[in-house]
Amino acid sequence: MSNPLADMEKADVMFCIGTNMTECHPVAATRLKKAIARGARMIVADPRRVPLADLAHVHLPIRVGSDVPLLLAMAHVIVRDGLADEKFMAERTRGGEAFLRHVEPLTCEWASEICEVPARDIEAAAQMYGRASRGAIYYTLGITEHICGVDNVRSLCNLALLTGNFGREGTGVNPMRGQNNIQGAGDSGAIPNNYPGFQPVVDPAAQAKFRQAYGRETDLEEGMTKVTALELAGDRIRAMIVDGENTVVSDPDRNHCEHALKSLDFLVVIDLFMTETAQMADVVFPATAWAETDGVCANTERRVQRLRAAVPPPGEAKPDWWIVSRLAERMGWEGFGFQSAKEVFNELCRLSPTYQGLDWDRIEHGEYHWPVPHADHPGTPRLHEGEFENGRGIFSLTEYRDPAETISDEYPVWLTTGRRLPSYHTRTQTGRSAGIDYLAAEEALEVHPADVAGWGLEDGGWAEMRSPRGNVRIKVRATDRSPMGTVFASFSFDDVPVNVLTGGGYDPATLTAELKVCPVAVHPAAAGEPGTGG
Amino acid sequence: MGDMKRNGARATLVLDGERLAFAEGETIYEVADRHGRDIPALCYDPRLEPFGGCRLCVVEVEGQRNPVASCATRAEAGMVVRSRTARLEERRRTLVEMVASENRDARVDPLHGYASQEMGALLDRYDARPGRFRGARSGQSRIDDDNPFIGRDYDNCISCYRCVRVCAEQEGDYAISVANRGFSTQIVTEFDGLLKDSACTFCGQCVQTCPTGALADLKALANRDVPGETKTTRTICTYCGVGCSVDVMSRGDKIVGVLPAMDGPANEGALCVKGQFAYDFVHHRDRLATPFVRDRETGELRPASWDKALDRAAEGLGKVVAEHGRHAVYGVASGRAPHEAAYMMQRFIRAGLGTNHIDNCSRA
Amino acid sequence: MPAPANDELVARWKNRPAPLLPLLHEFHERDGHLSEEALQAVADGLDMPIAELFGTVTFYHHFSREPGCGGRPRFCNGPVCRLAGADEVAADLRAAGHDPAPMPCPGRCDEPVPVLHGGGVLTGRPGGALQSGPSPLPPEPPEGVRECVFAGIREAGRASLEGYRSQGGYEALAKALRDMSPGDVIREIDQSGLAGRGGAGFPTGRKWRAVREAPGGPKTIVCNADEGEPGCFKDRALMDHDPHALLEGMLLAGYATGAERGLVYLRYEYPETFGVLEAAVAEAEGAGLLGGRVLDTEFSFGIVVRRGAGAYICGEETSLLNSLEGRHPFPRNRPPFPVTHGYENLPTAVNNVETLASVPPILAQGPDWYRGLGCDGHAGTKVLSVSGDVRRPGNYEAPIGLPLAELLHDWCGGPPPGRRFRAATMAGLSGGFLGERDFGATLDEPSLRARGSFLGAGGIIVFDDSRDMVAATHNAMEFFAEESCGKCFPCRIGTQRLAERLNGEGPSGFDEWVDEVADLNETMKETSACGLGQAAPLLTESLLRYFPEELRRRMEEGWGT
Repeated sequence: MSNPLADMEKADVMFCIGTNMTECHPVAATRLKKAIARGARMIVADPRRVPLADLAHVHLPIRVGSDVPLLLAMAHVIVRDGLADEKFMAERTRGGEAFLRHVEPLTCEWASEICEVPARDIEAAAQMYGRASRGAIYYTLGITEHICGVDNVRSLCNLALLTGNFGREGTGVNPMRGQNNIQGAGDSGAIPNNYPGFQPVVDPAAQAKFRQAYGRETDLEEGMTKVTALELAGDRIRAMIVDGENTVVSDPDRNHCEHALKSLDFLVVIDLFMTETAQMADVVFPATAWAETDGVCANTERRVQRLRAAVPPPGEAKPDWWIVSRLAERMGWEGFGFQSAKEVFNELCRLSPTYQGLDWDRIEHGEYHWPVPHADHPGTPRLHEGEFENGRGIFSLTEYRDPAETISDEYPVWLTTGRRLPSYHTRTQTGRSAGIDYLAAEEALEVHPADVAGWGLEDGGWAEMRSPRGNVRIKVRATDRSPMGTVFASFSFDDVPVNVLTGGGYDPATLTAELKVCPVAVHPAAAGEPGTGG
Repeated sequence: MGDMKRNGARATLVLDGERLAFAEGETIYEVADRHGRDIPALCYDPRLEPFGGCRLCVVEVEGQRNPVASCATRAEAGMVVRSRTARLEERRRTLVEMVASENRDARVDPLHGYASQEMGALLDRYDARPGRFRGARSGQSRIDDDNPFIGRDYDNCISCYRCVRVCAEQEGDYAISVANRGFSTQIVTEFDGLLKDSACTFCGQCVQTCPTGALADLKALANRDVPGETKTTRTICTYCGVGCSVDVMSRGDKIVGVLPAMDGPANEGALCVKGQFAYDFVHHRDRLATPFVRDRETGELRPASWDKALDRAAEGLGKVVAEHGRHAVYGVASGRAPHEAAYMMQRFIRAGLGTNHIDNCSRA
Repeated sequence: MPAPANDELVARWKNRPAPLLPLLHEFHERDGHLSEEALQAVADGLDMPIAELFGTVTFYHHFSREPGCGGRPRFCNGPVCRLAGADEVAADLRAAGHDPAPMPCPGRCDEPVPVLHGGGVLTGRPGGALQSGPSPLPPEPPEGVRECVFAGIREAGRASLEGYRSQGGYEALAKALRDMSPGDVIREIDQSGLAGRGGAGFPTGRKWRAVREAPGGPKTIVCNADEGEPGCFKDRALMDHDPHALLEGMLLAGYATGAERGLVYLRYEYPETFGVLEAAVAEAEGAGLLGGRVLDTEFSFGIVVRRGAGAYICGEETSLLNSLEGRHPFPRNRPPFPVTHGYENLPTAVNNVETLASVPPILAQGPDWYRGLGCDGHAGTKVLSVSGDVRRPGNYEAPIGLPLAELLHDWCGGPPPGRRFRAATMAGLSGGFLGERDFGATLDEPSLRARGSFLGAGGIIVFDDSRDMVAATHNAMEFFAEESCGKCFPCRIGTQRLAERLNGEGPSGFDEWVDEVADLNETMKETSACGLGQAAPLLTESLLRYFPEELRRRMEEGWGT
């Protein structure tokens, strides 16, 4: 997030798009609710009437995958109505003139055709955001899990650049990170293009720094992404070491994924449980869990915080860093003699410009928003205050593209996937916590009541859902939270493996899967058990 | 907070003979609290709007006929306030005795919730005389509410409405409200139903703010017989990216419950159902307690020693490197594990294999 | 005509001021109760959390949530009607095949026993038939007494616009708009010494000035017509028989304060009055006296009438504001006061009916005239509702400072034949009792406060020497326990504990009993958040003051039931 969580209470207009925040980030959503209670206005763009939409002043139930035209048309209205922040554009951005020309013909009527929402609602939303003195944008995977995820994010940035909503309290473009330390995984360098601290692996200075630190040459080009690695499993990729991820259930196109892991010569998995993925491994290492592990994490607002062990782990389970260090030593490599989380974290801080001012002892007594460039630095709750990291904010001339797959006679229904409040991801943890089943014992496909009738389904009855990649059987729940023609299910339940169906496309830049859009066919099915059908 | 806004001349009031500066908008209670006065209260939660219901926090303000509720009265320049006169203490004692008279129990297990000891502490502090103001009891428990998280023992409710207010003001859920009036007041969901049929999200905030234990953390209470002292450990919730601070309660090797950290910077005391209640996976029987290695003959995963498992993993990876080169190995770090895990995984790939074939699960 | 559908009703009220209560009344009248479906429609329509709406609805006596309950006749079992045979009237109703439910005092103490049925008020005595009819006019005062608000009320046709205008009505408004600045109006009201006649006695001119000077708007005049105090029925008489005086008073208040919105919060138990006020508002609007450009001036002012739903606490001004706004009707913390943070958190003057009705005559005849109406240096008059054991109950507009004995003997005709006075309540029930030995008190706040009581809204319930004062106190305390809102501890628990103790459910030893009750009294008086909890213990306090022997005897002889 460019801005701290506390800023969520300070905006006067919040624009939430592709985020089911009350269910996926409930505590952050309480801040939005407080802002609304004191008079702030909220726009929610989401195909479904997610609970957050019930609180919105404008809800735009756009067709899945139509974010870019919506955002371009909003920019069009903002420009047309003279709501652009010309001073901000002149002083702090680049490419504004081309962008103004770009959106000139992109009217609400044009977007309305694609997004399937009334032009006047798009206009109202644009004016509401355009007139805000403090406008903040929040998004989650509903923006990124598309073939055009990068374009979606850039389109959001365009809106904020156009209206000067950066670098001030209660503004910004703010992704809500899904996992407790997904931010930290990136910060720590677990990405193919960057060393720790987002130092590009193609940057000669960074290469030199790590050559010295690690005492060996490392490739000068970026690595492949996980999606590509799975694609090439059994071919160029022959072994994997996977830490704490139930790839088989959480990733798109489950059949493909299982096949990929099976094609490996060797698979090492580190996890808490014998997950579906671990069951395919050659070696499984038992890791310590939350509340058994000392360490550091970073939340969605870049706040670096300390994790502490409260209880000992079961049996011989060990911290992940210990397991990987020992494995490296067993490989015969030098320099992996780490004996504590503290040593590991302190090495990270030494090598990362964003963590330079931090170390284990400092984190013990406080928490800081990175970047923290030196030991006396208080941290940086709000990014882009003076200027953008790279100087000026750059407008992007984004354009609409259809999703990788669109509805057809054979697959006439849009399936979109997501999460539910009581379940976390593939339920390896929530599913093993007492009582959670009281709230969410089984998965169900959310279908608009008119579609339930139109497709011959029954509320509480069974459906078979099919995509080019497979099919699943699932219970039906009639609800007008789904728009007509679009159905929703979460991927949390192993017995309803919705990700058998998904995976039609990937964003070409990030290779993020288009989990939010999947054309399917839905038919009534006889009563029975959930699962994948014949 | 105490050292904020030191600059410039600030308005002052006199509290118990001492001249104290205060900030614009502060209540008398807040000023007193900052200076360690410990004015008693039962309906007060610093995160909520002042309510002024319990009246225990009344103080004398010169020029006012009756004492005023310090939680709901703004400090004003020149006020002369007395917070602990004999008269006030006598009234407070009576109020505490009155409240005690409407409940079945005043002493409850601390595992009920964060604030559950407040009522009992006041009985001690005021040496309340048992049996005084004996009479009808208020509140009806919902023993039919079979939810596994939140106990609703309204026999012990004192109608401070902290639960209702935290649900509305802090959570924005408005799942519960105040029905009826006077002594018949009852905390209810709409149509007096069960929590699961209401807007309740089972975040547990009502439990944690309840000063009598009328609302209870049922999962924690189930651990009341676990031996040992309760220890609390500050850490961060393991679920989403908000990064809520929690205090894990443990006895011996067992987690017995989770308390929200009221001073947690990301959550300021708030939690959701996952952070509050979904912690016991840690002790689930499915947890892996040893390494597993695939048996070369049967093809089954079998428990193995660390030594054997590390050897086997190193051998397997080494063989791939030998046969297909170092680019044939790929590392996937976790977005759920700490920095050290992700850092070490990338170090394994970069410093060990010299490639950049490392990623994490942020793309799924 | 078919009954309107849920969404029609919601659409009818959704965008009007203070919509919740009228909308609930519509559903309640349509269905005879408030169904879950109806409440869901209201919650959706007004964008309210359903749990909050449910809780708020349960606060009001009037709303039933079971089918069929809305049609039951409700009879008064307040303190006066108990003396007049309320239980017998209820028995008569039962014998006639009804299922009557008790209700707290509906303000017809000058004509007991009232029964609310079929949207109207009937009255009857034990064994007699129930009758409908206009509420009683104030009896004639003794010769030579000068009145303010009652001066014209007995004139025929006074309730119509024509009748009101024929006696000089709306001339004060015309004069103010023509010749006076808002500041002039406030100055005159200041000089008259007019103070809140609802009981709190706050100087009206000061209140208006505070509203005028408060930043923000639109500003609002709220007329507190929630006359819920048992034994008080003066506002009913004023509104029934002289509604335009109230409207003119509100207009003048609006002009003086810069308010453009007027709201009358009328207690539910005055259904006929609701019709009278609605008709008067319509007439005034038709005549250009209400709405945009009043009397062709720049001044605009509108009035809407909203009905309560049976909750005594809504007579407390901040509860009333919460009720109007559709919130749970707990009193608010003060400060801030309504003059800066009132209706919708904007500057608001909340004034009682009598206060507002006093304004036109004061402006017409001048502040000195009004000041001069009082006795012994007290300014002005106060309407006193006298009921119970007197020969001529009714509303009397008396000079402030009139001796109580003079009122009861000379104005009201003394005790019933063969009886002597024993005690009289003050401020309805809120002032507790004065025993007969204190009947020499004059009816003004300094005199009464010195005796541990206060004049309040001016309700005086008289008990003769045949009455059981312990039982009377118990009944009164049950009323307060029933009406306690439940927000603050001393009142919620204290009224309950006092009621129990007055019913023999407390300590059995006299000294222990007195110790507990005195402790409850002091604690409630000093720490309760609003007037209800502060006033209720005056009952037990006066019982201990005047009738300790009766109490001791009751404890020794047993409480019975």
